[in-house]
Amino acid sequence: MVSRPWQRLSPAGRVLLPLGVVAGGLGVVFLGGVSSGILPNLWSWVYEALSDNLPLLRFVVAATAVLLFTVPTAFVIIYLEMKVIALQNLRLGPNRQGPWGVLASTLHGFKVLAKEDFTPTGADVPVFTLAPVVVYLASVMSFLVIPFAPGLFAQDMNLALLYFFAVGGLGVVGLMMAGWSSFNKYSLLGALRAAAQIISYEIPLTLSVVGVVMLAGTLSLNTIVHQQSGSFLDWYVFRQPLAAVIFFIAATAEGNRTPFDLTEADSEIVAGFATEYSGMRFGFFFFAEYVNVFILSALTVTLFLGGWNAPLDLTPVWQALGAHPGAIDLGGLGVGLLIALLVVPPILTVLLALPFWMLFTRLRFWQALGIGFLCFNALVGAAVLIWAAFSFDAVMGLLWFLGKTYVFVVIFVWMRATLPRVRIDQLMGFAWKWLLPASLANLFVTALAILVIAQVRG
Amino acid sequence: MSFVPGLGILKGMALTFRNMLRLKPTVQYPEEVYPVAPRHRGRLLLLYDEAGALKCETCFQCAQACPIECIDMGGVDTRDRYHIHWGPAEQYGERREESALRRSGRPVPDATATPFEPIDTAALDVILADEAYDPRHMLAILGRTQEAYGYLPVAALKHISHATGAWYAEVYGTATFYDQLRMAPAGAHVLAICLCPSCTFRGAGRVLAAAEAAASTALGGSSPEGAVRLEATACHGASPAAVFVTLDGAVQAEPTAKGITDLVTRLRAGHAPVGRA
Repeated sequence: MVSRPWQRLSPAGRVLLPLGVVAGGLGVVFLGGVSSGILPNLWSWVYEALSDNLPLLRFVVAATAVLLFTVPTAFVIIYLEMKVIALQNLRLGPNRQGPWGVLASTLHGFKVLAKEDFTPTGADVPVFTLAPVVVYLASVMSFLVIPFAPGLFAQDMNLALLYFFAVGGLGVVGLMMAGWSSFNKYSLLGALRAAAQIISYEIPLTLSVVGVVMLAGTLSLNTIVHQQSGSFLDWYVFRQPLAAVIFFIAATAEGNRTPFDLTEADSEIVAGFATEYSGMRFGFFFFAEYVNVFILSALTVTLFLGGWNAPLDLTPVWQALGAHPGAIDLGGLGVGLLIALLVVPPILTVLLALPFWMLFTRLRFWQALGIGFLCFNALVGAAVLIWAAFSFDAVMGLLWFLGKTYVFVVIFVWMRATLPRVRIDQLMGFAWKWLLPASLANLFVTALAILVIAQVRG
Repeated sequence: MSFVPGLGILKGMALTFRNMLRLKPTVQYPEEVYPVAPRHRGRLLLLYDEAGALKCETCFQCAQACPIECIDMGGVDTRDRYHIHWGPAEQYGERREESALRRSGRPVPDATATPFEPIDTAALDVILADEAYDPRHMLAILGRTQEAYGYLPVAALKHISHATGAWYAEVYGTATFYDQLRMAPAGAHVLAICLCPSCTFRGAGRVLAAAEAAASTALGGSSPEGAVRLEATACHGASPAAVFVTLDGAVQAEPTAKGITDLVTRLRAGHAPVGRA
């Protein structure tokens, strides 16, 4: 079957061939296992072992899911950054790799993977190697407590907020490790700057949240989101506006984003602590930065903008329009459902392919069929998504949560396209002279208000 | 204007947001091409830097690319003498070629290379007056000039151009286009072959090929030793049955490939080169 030598295979072939071999092997093992009765016995044993250790299983699955979720998130945000900043600079931005250049950031990722991974002479190799891992891990572990939707979260800790800030602070350790182990005084200086900045802004960041914590009476992010359910007037941003502003500004500094991106100010100091890094280790620092952008946006949304709650309860409107769970009962079609499953996809594919085939004379029919198939999938995907959104609270909540979060991501990007970088003394002065007193004042005023209201209500 | 904290930031954000929605002026070059008139060559402009120094480095690339050699580079030396720069010889040698120089009107450095011999234009003036100096009669003028001088000297063409007002290029083009017009004196004998459709049908092509092979030249040229000159002529329907071939104006009785080959060979053999044993 494999008549072509390995070197003559195309890159796609070099991926597909081993996958095919693996799939074939697994199929043989599966058939053999099922027919000989080993596999069912093994499966029941595995099932019992897993159900005995459900919390552990839940953690492993959640950690894996979160780890897998960060990669496309980072790619999407990097693409957004490239495209939005380009558009705001009156450029076109990436537009060659895929439609509207959507694959640009993914290909950047592959490029970084393919680059040489260089360790400088004299570097502290274990620390040098571990530093990007620690930075990335800090970002990924922060994900574990963020509630994405009702019932869709990795861990519902009652110390979630504390955990978040503790693990987020771990990132500084990674930066210091990177700067120290690089055997480069400029890297060390960059790391010190980064540490000074992040630790300084950690204080107003944490203090601004304390007001929300006092109002909510809990550190659990899940509970905080639940307390903001109802209309958008119940969101904490209206009860803690100053805290929201301080939190957002401090989050900008925490994530090393413009105008507080002195840590790696690309145009001035050569990436600061990451000077000596190359290849995928460097890539991990940047992945961590973009994951951080997502996390800080997500936390802003969770704390102040109601998390996965819709701004208004639109359920009556949908029900008036006839959209409720069970409005479409496909099971009622009976055998017709089977026939439709067989007949509708090819017909729709051809119908969607025809306009492309007729409009673009250079397309061959099978190419048009491919486009038609993609369109059909997009159409069906959208239909399924809409159906799922109206049928499951979790899907609707996830959509609201991601929508709000990406609004803040775009605001981060938008700020980067607009604002110039501040000076280091302005940066530190702003944190200690303005944000810290303001967050303290917010804290005291909130405490006073809680006491007064409790007294008045008796 | 009262001070509102953060107003500048908001103004900047509004500006970038408006920019995001604006139409982008980028032209995606290989896919879309900005409309340019086909004869557009751009505007020649010498740029100066902010210190007032000329930015041109006299790399001669523009002069090299210019199709009609209208770009030249010159300058003054330390004694205020003006020179035209010619660029590096190995790169721009073709610009020193005689034809390039003559075309661009620059002096030809080789003194022995005279462009044309002067002639007595009295006969030509008569012809020109007869044709009313009308450039539309160019073919008649040229034909009569060739009758008068035996061929078309360059000086005559210059004179015709001057007298009629037609560009020399047009006169020259006309003179070189027609096969019966020649710009060099004819050989000792002129063998003329008609190539009209009727003669071609009777085998003029074969006859011409045989004559060319025998005379070792192409139509319009002379045999190497100058004995025979091959030319085109017109039979005007005078020879319906055979190819119309004339030798020095006399119609040949045997206008076949073999006959013409014999004729040319005989003529060339009779024209013994001078000084040869």
